[in-house]
Amino acid sequence: MSAAAPVSYSVLLNCLTDEDTTMAFEDLLNDPVIQKYLHELVGPTGMPVAAAPPDGEVTDEELAEQLDLELNAVRRALFILYENDLASYRRVRDEDSGWLTYLWTFHYENIPENLESEMYRLLDALENREEYEEINEFYLCDVCSIRFEFGEAMDFGFQCPECGSPLESMDNSMLVDAMQSRIDELRDELNVDVTG
Amino acid sequence: MSVSEIEAELSDDERAGLELIRETGGIHQSDFWKELDVSSRKGSRIAEALVTSDLIKRESAVYKGHTTYYLEPATRDLNFELLMAGDMLSPFIGEEDIDAQSDAFSQWLMNLAYSR
Repeated sequence: MSAAAPVSYSVLLNCLTDEDTTMAFEDLLNDPVIQKYLHELVGPTGMPVAAAPPDGEVTDEELAEQLDLELNAVRRALFILYENDLASYRRVRDEDSGWLTYLWTFHYENIPENLESEMYRLLDALENREEYEEINEFYLCDVCSIRFEFGEAMDFGFQCPECGSPLESMDNSMLVDAMQSRIDELRDELNVDVTG
Repeated sequence: MSVSEIEAELSDDERAGLELIRETGGIHQSDFWKELDVSSRKGSRIAEALVTSDLIKRESAVYKGHTTYYLEPATRDLNFELLMAGDMLSPFIGEEDIDAQSDAFSQWLMNLAYSR
């Protein structure tokens, strides 16, 4: 099973730069991993906001108008970026109306730092999971594609509790090898010393 | 040359300087040489060498009434592709906790092992 193909935002980016909107952080936004990252954070409806950070300050209303989006969708995306240190705001009171205006600034210079810490988090998870994969023995139901630890399989009498098919011993060495090589790559890239 | 190769070629003083800058997250040059316990002249040479190797950034700054430099670790250009398994991004992004047993991570691992 593979995830749905990502929407190409470079097309969208190009449309936007053709207009009079100036856009910052173009190099970062051309990186497909960074596009995926932003998409993961703000979701498809927030993506037009995340994909076109203007240079300097902007209000949520201006963005909604420029991008032809619901104000709520724009605000939602901006607050997600804010929670991830990728945008900040300051509030200004309009002297005539008394309304508060939010002036937003995008901080995509923090993206590399965020992704670096995601690499550390991923490395942690890989190390943790690799140990589990190494010390356990697994049994698989070929019909349901459900995997059981040895103890569970034994409790079920080596029969799948869903369909009754016999559980077969499963070789997870390919999985462990793939994990080990990604762990090595991450350690090397992050300069993590292997101790012990 | 990779960052680790560049770092392997640093002198002991330069390595200590780099570590100080990374630990503090940024330091003024006038504090830098004092912390390292070297002369200001030597501190300045160390900082220059680290700037030339792209390991740190240096910007002029006014600090305690004096013009000095602010030294910061350079953002490393990392290979973010390592967060991907096939076309799947690390499932921990946007998640507060890391669950190494989650279904999403299992799916990611399956992609890693079988999608090449």
